[in-house]
Amino acid sequence: MTLLNCLILAFVLFAIGVFGLLTRRHLVGMLISIELMLNAANINFVAFAHFKAADATAGSLFSIFVIAITACEMAVALAILITMYRRHKSLDVNRLEDLHD
Amino acid sequence: MILGIPFSDIVFYVVAAFMIVAAVVTVVSKNILQSAIFLIATFIATAIVYILLQAEFMAVAQVMVYAGGVVVFMIFAILLTSHLGEESFKVHLPRKFIAGAIAAAFLAIMGKFLIGQPELATATSNASAEASTFGAYALRLLSPGANGFLIPFELISLLLLMALVASVTIAKKDEDKEEK
Repeated sequence: MTLLNCLILAFVLFAIGVFGLLTRRHLVGMLISIELMLNAANINFVAFAHFKAADATAGSLFSIFVIAITACEMAVALAILITMYRRHKSLDVNRLEDLHD
Repeated sequence: MILGIPFSDIVFYVVAAFMIVAAVVTVVSKNILQSAIFLIATFIATAIVYILLQAEFMAVAQVMVYAGGVVVFMIFAILLTSHLGEESFKVHLPRKFIAGAIAAAFLAIMGKFLIGQPELATATSNASAEASTFGAYALRLLSPGANGFLIPFELISLLLLMALVASVTIAKKDEDKEEK
């Protein structure tokens, strides 16, 4: 297991997340793809902290902050999503053009 | 050692392969609930990778926050809003093709940069064994000095509180506007 392996794994996961974000039309599906991309970024943080950092503790502490901010983002996003479903009875992003009313 | 390959390397390759398969199923699965279940599998495999990278606390946080919290929350949201036919989310083929092309281009560019750096493949760990234990994290998070993360820590706690209040406010039933 080298740094190169970890980086390749993270980039493959990130690319899968990009593909999902672009092909999904379900809002929850898009959120799941964003989670995959954030997860790939976290793997990068921890891998660099393990192999390269002068200060390994600080390196992996950043992914703790990423996890905390992701939890906030998910809470607010899912609350918005439930409200949206209640008003529009749909979570298809292509049908959300009438967001202004 | 099996066939001259260290045991941790074998574990890493197996977990990485499993993780990529789970992530692909997460993204292409028609059923959104199935996709959330495979997201849990991806996160648990990520926790195993963190353990291999000697970041035990990160692994615990990953399982607790992601697999235990975020995805369960997500499954609740899916079940609360699941009266939708799956056929209403069909994506046309050209769009899928363009998305695949963008993802493949990203991979190709990143791969080109990575392969050009031979030191990435030979780097050895220079982190001390205690660098990512729970005690080291706690000391750094709560120390107010130049190397500490006390202010970001407090900001995160404030942010979590704000997100809690905001999501309750957004999602609560608005009785008089319900029939709009």
